[in-house]
Amino acid sequence: MLKVDNINVYYGNIHAIKDVSFEVHDGEIVALIGANGAGKSTSLKTVSGLLPSRTGSISFLGSPIDRVPAHKRVAMGLSQVPEGRRIFLQMTVLENLQMGAFTSKADTKADLEKVFEQFPRLLERKNQIAGTLSGGEQQMLAMGRALMSRPKLLMLDEPSMGLAPILVEQIFEIIKSLHKAGTTILLVEQNAEMALKIADRAYVLESGRITVSGTGKELAASDRIKKAYLGG
Amino acid sequence: MQFLSFLISGLSLGSVYALIALGYTMVYGIAKMLNFAHGDVIMVGAYLIYVVSTMQGLPIWVGFLASVVGCTVLGMVIERLAYKPLRGAQSLAVLITAIGVSYFLQNAALLIFGSSPKSFTSVISKKPLSLFDGALVISWEAILTMIVSIFIMIALTVFINKSKQGKAMRAVSEDRDAAQLMGINVNRTITLTFAIGSALAAVAGILLCSSYPTLTPYTGAMPGIKAFTAAVFGGIGSIPGAMLGGVLIGIIQMLANGYISTQLSDAIVFAVLIIVLLVKPTGLLGKKINEKV
Repeated sequence: MLKVDNINVYYGNIHAIKDVSFEVHDGEIVALIGANGAGKSTSLKTVSGLLPSRTGSISFLGSPIDRVPAHKRVAMGLSQVPEGRRIFLQMTVLENLQMGAFTSKADTKADLEKVFEQFPRLLERKNQIAGTLSGGEQQMLAMGRALMSRPKLLMLDEPSMGLAPILVEQIFEIIKSLHKAGTTILLVEQNAEMALKIADRAYVLESGRITVSGTGKELAASDRIKKAYLGG
Repeated sequence: MQFLSFLISGLSLGSVYALIALGYTMVYGIAKMLNFAHGDVIMVGAYLIYVVSTMQGLPIWVGFLASVVGCTVLGMVIERLAYKPLRGAQSLAVLITAIGVSYFLQNAALLIFGSSPKSFTSVISKKPLSLFDGALVISWEAILTMIVSIFIMIALTVFINKSKQGKAMRAVSEDRDAAQLMGINVNRTITLTFAIGSALAAVAGILLCSSYPTLTPYTGAMPGIKAFTAAVFGGIGSIPGAMLGGVLIGIIQMLANGYISTQLSDAIVFAVLIIVLLVKPTGLLGKKINEKV
């Protein structure tokens, strides 16, 4: 479904992503794990089109998207929940969700109902200004907003960041249920333990390079990964 | 009665400032730049209706239409040619470019129309309204200005809050990257903002020159600066702020004009701005900017 082939991304003179290649197949959950600053978010932003790659190519559903601007990638079925949620704080919950459906030609009403079913808290707070939501609710809103475009591939950037452990569990349950419902997922996480538990396959990023890859189980069992990312 | 008369002329002038201030504040909110050429678009709008209706003698509504359409296109062209190539450049470069565009428009008008003032024919030719046995005289221009401005402000508010494009504009103004991730075309949204702002400037120019009928290439400069002041006064980036700021600046200017001194009225307007910014740096309705990590 998604094929990232040998991309190199720079922030000015800083070489943030070095020869990174990875793939996401239809129906998978793929995790990118690694320490802070390893290049996980940069990789996602390059896939969604917010950052340009100097080399290589990214293809989605079989066609290269290197020249497709970010806003058109959404309509192709690529949706990203950005790091730090980035919901529109001054708009209402409902307006945020409507923005998520900006490119959608489908029945927005039915999609809204589906999101409210998945996240009942959002229905309760439908007309509230998004800035007044709690951290967990904001994460749910960010995910609900991304789902409104009916993505074929949902990319989640650090969905557990800054949330209490119980909320982290809840968010991962939701990711699992979205996956069950047929959404392919690319997950970026610092919380490697949780990510590897649900991932079919995973890639480990270290200072801008992919150093290890394998199935979620393999990586969770690997001594090296345990030491570096799983606290022992 | 005198107070009422000052108040009404202040409201009328203020609603013109508000229309212009909306252009400043929307462009600032969405494109994150100060478009100092905005005031000169007013002047272009006034010349357009002057050429079409006064010089060519076509009906006033044709001139009005020509002016609004002409300015809308002008705004989009300015954005495309002068500002779009600088997207991502430092804000000082954009600011200097905007000042350059302003001089360009003034000098182009100077070249075409010369420096001698043209006398603008008001869009209404009716004797002023005289109330209370002539104790209170209100010009129809003032009344028209207030009605048109209120109508436009309501329409704009509904557009921004209810329409899909309006919501997209708010989204872009709050978080450009996140808006892109929603599938919103940021470039097109910015163009639309310039189009709307310039159309409002054309209307403002026509109303302003109907009340103050001397037209020169520098006609737009001072109202432009006043309206910019109004936008900052109300909280730059805030649409209700621009409306409130514009009306207040107009009233303050007219009251200062009437009760204190004509020469000092501009100084008083700017003094009030300074005081407000000292007390509330974000302006009257400005929101505190949340630092994003």
